[in-house]
Amino acid sequence: MNGVRSYVQAWLGERIPVSGHQLRELTNEPVPNHLKHWWFCLGGTPAYLFGVQIVTGILLAFYYQPSPATVYESVDYITNKVAFGWFLRSMHKWGATFMIAAVILHQIRVYFTAAYRRPREINWLIGMALLMCTLLTGFTGYSLVFEQLSYWGATVAANISDAVPLVGGVAKQFLLAGDGYNQRTLSRFYVLHAAILPATMILLIGVHVALIRLHGVTEYRFEDEPEDAPRHFNFFPDHLLTELTIGLIVMILLCAASTLFPAIMGPKADPLTTPEEIKPEWFFYVSFRWLKLFSLSFAVLSTGLIVCAMFLWPWIDWALRKITGYEDISIWIGVVATMLLIGLTMWEALAVH
Amino acid sequence: MTLRTKQFIIAILSLAFLASLIFVQAIEVTRRREEAGLTARHVSIPANSRSCVECHEKLSPGIIDHWRGSTHAAKGVGCVECHKAEEGDVDGFHHQGAFIATIVTPLDCSRCHKREFEEFEHSHHAKGGNILASLDNFLAETVEGNREPFDVFNPHAPSRAEAGMKADGMASVNVGCKQCHGSKVALEAKDGSLITVDQLKPGPDGKPTVADAVALVKHNDSGVPVLHQSTWPNTGIGRINLDGSLGSCSACHSRHDFSPRRARQPENCGKCHLGPDHPQKEIYEESKHGVAFRDLKEHMNLDAKDWVLGEDYTQAPTCATCHMSGHSKNGGQVTHDPGQRISWTNRPPVSIVMDTDEHGNVIKEADPAKRNQLIASGWEEKRQEMKDVCLHCHTPNYVNAFYKQYDDFVINYNEKFAKPGQAIMTALLDNGLITKPDFDDEIEWTWFYLWHHEGRRARHGASMMAPDYAHWHGMFEVAERFYQELIPQAREIAEHAKSEGDVEAAEAVLAEIDKILARPEHEWYEAAKQERAARAAADEKDDASTAADANGTADENGNADAPAAAETKDQSPEQPASEEGPPVSPTD
Repeated sequence: MNGVRSYVQAWLGERIPVSGHQLRELTNEPVPNHLKHWWFCLGGTPAYLFGVQIVTGILLAFYYQPSPATVYESVDYITNKVAFGWFLRSMHKWGATFMIAAVILHQIRVYFTAAYRRPREINWLIGMALLMCTLLTGFTGYSLVFEQLSYWGATVAANISDAVPLVGGVAKQFLLAGDGYNQRTLSRFYVLHAAILPATMILLIGVHVALIRLHGVTEYRFEDEPEDAPRHFNFFPDHLLTELTIGLIVMILLCAASTLFPAIMGPKADPLTTPEEIKPEWFFYVSFRWLKLFSLSFAVLSTGLIVCAMFLWPWIDWALRKITGYEDISIWIGVVATMLLIGLTMWEALAVH
Repeated sequence: MTLRTKQFIIAILSLAFLASLIFVQAIEVTRRREEAGLTARHVSIPANSRSCVECHEKLSPGIIDHWRGSTHAAKGVGCVECHKAEEGDVDGFHHQGAFIATIVTPLDCSRCHKREFEEFEHSHHAKGGNILASLDNFLAETVEGNREPFDVFNPHAPSRAEAGMKADGMASVNVGCKQCHGSKVALEAKDGSLITVDQLKPGPDGKPTVADAVALVKHNDSGVPVLHQSTWPNTGIGRINLDGSLGSCSACHSRHDFSPRRARQPENCGKCHLGPDHPQKEIYEESKHGVAFRDLKEHMNLDAKDWVLGEDYTQAPTCATCHMSGHSKNGGQVTHDPGQRISWTNRPPVSIVMDTDEHGNVIKEADPAKRNQLIASGWEEKRQEMKDVCLHCHTPNYVNAFYKQYDDFVINYNEKFAKPGQAIMTALLDNGLITKPDFDDEIEWTWFYLWHHEGRRARHGASMMAPDYAHWHGMFEVAERFYQELIPQAREIAEHAKSEGDVEAAEAVLAEIDKILARPEHEWYEAAKQERAARAAADEKDDASTAADANGTADENGNADAPAAAETKDQSPEQPASEEGPPVSPTD
């Protein structure tokens, strides 16, 4: 028996020249002790949910048809005919909501602990790019259902992008494959949603994780921690267990949401009838309310500026600290920004028109 | 700032974000369920109707509850939007700060539903109130009721009555006929007379043009114009409104929820389309269509926004499906003219094809050239529209063969019983053997039963594939009524006239009857009797010859009673009375 085992080991070792020691080294970097607190561990959750989205997305793609003539019927088929189709679709829909929520929670943690500061500015940029990809994937996915609201949501979003100076028109043309929503728009959304954006995200996540491993996780110590408290613990099995626990809880919540509030079919898209109220998905409520508060051009320009500022925050933070001499200025700006995000989102949710 | 403080801030903000996310998702889930029609919509009461709702919620909660469940409520259409009156509207009155009218007419609905209004006003439904001077109207007003009010006060009578109270003698019309056909809405005048559209002469905007008539309108103590109780409440399909518009949208779209779901179901039409004379709903229920509907109702997607056959459902058709609703072959186009897909009208004694003029009236002109000039929509077009519906579930061969069976059935009824019956009744009337007023001669009741009840049941049974109605409740009873009652009664009238000395008239009627019965389709009826009579006559002749031989004389009149049948048989039957020949009742 032992002979067979050593033979297999030798055979594999020759073909995959990684030793057990190297493998342990690679996967078992010491993890800073503060990560024992679960709210510091939310970076892995979006990745975990991304995996759920890929699996459920592939299964949905078996049935989905991105052509205006059959798209609604194919989604209806998934929802009402395919065995567990409703569950897969609901998991995918709620998975998107959970993923965006997890990304925001992760970003809140990174921001308020200033983990983006030197030397991790590039990883913040990658994180921001991942956030944008996530939102864009959410937007294109919502439009793929071809319901009244998703259709009109896409139309309105395209018109908004049109208002962006210089690049707006091109962006709209690129998004819709023409001046308006047409026969080719859906397949464009589908390719973006199911191929380009996920592939980009996989690459970005790879770089994001690689940079974390190269820099190591930012280390914190609580002021009231005893000096002799251990500084690190093992990734395997301790941290993996924490991640698995979080993953399991997220999965339970996801299944519960999908089962209790399954995705349903809204009215089919009707290009001739504008609905009474047009609403984007919840993660765009904040920008939608912002748009309603100001003139279109101001709202679009200011949104662009805010997004730019978010990308460049590590340097803006540096500059602000230099100018004001106040170390924690970012925290208070962050508090206001988060309150604005929550407030505007709830306002839009409550608004009838 | 310490890490603990940062941790605290992160926790607070993250929890606030999660709480807001749960809150937003709860709203989102509710909203999407409402959109998909899975839960009742949240209704925000329009500001101008808030006081109406607050008050009527206590006074008449049913109205408000129904309204809350309506699409109107969901779209912010409140009480005032429909009930509002404009300056100059004769039935408008001030009520709690608003100027409103009690009756909402199709003209009011047309403020938003213009296309539906125009289709409806063009339909036969809209003309349902125009039953004055019709046979049915005479029946209800004169035969069943009394044109004079009853002075019902009688302390010894078992009727409930109070001193000075008068009962309307036209109650049968008001409660029966007009609740389906529609009343001519009237306001009470100060002098006790009625003010209707005839006195008000409204213009196209619905405003009265005769100021004197408006000045005469009686108002109650609250300043509300008094609607005459004999004409309102009424939601008859052809109600003649004070603003000149015809009909009542709530006849089919019951107020105050105006549910499309209800209008799509056969029970909705069953308020009027049932009973002995036109049991369309019962016929439908007996048909395979009705059987499928009962079984598959829950899959019929009755709450769908547009409810397009072939897109939203295919399980079974309802009345609305075939006669009104949109389908995949006509781009989902709904019509509010239920006659648009009907190719025969089976309403008159003799069925006629549904060629209609520009006003939607059935053309009775017999001359082909004149007729062609009048046709705005031909029966073939209408039939094709119906076939387009049928083709969602049946093959063209099937549909064409069905129509062949149906046409043959109607023609058989028309030619064998309806036109002959009509000819006999005309002969009786023209020769003065029955009086002009309807229903004072027994044979008029017989004829009425034949075509109005049994004849229609048969034809409607055939049109909607209910074999029992086509045959046992239909043609069987038509035949029985014709052979066992109409013919014997007509003969009896003629024989009686002959015995009274009115020989010429009697002979004319008898000749008409004989002519009809001599036709091949009626030949069977008296063939055996005639044979027996001929044999009896021959026997009699033999007996007479024998006696004559014995007496040495010959009876020259021995052939005087030679069977009339032999002669009658030789008569070539004339063309049956024309379809457009004067029916006993021009309208029904």
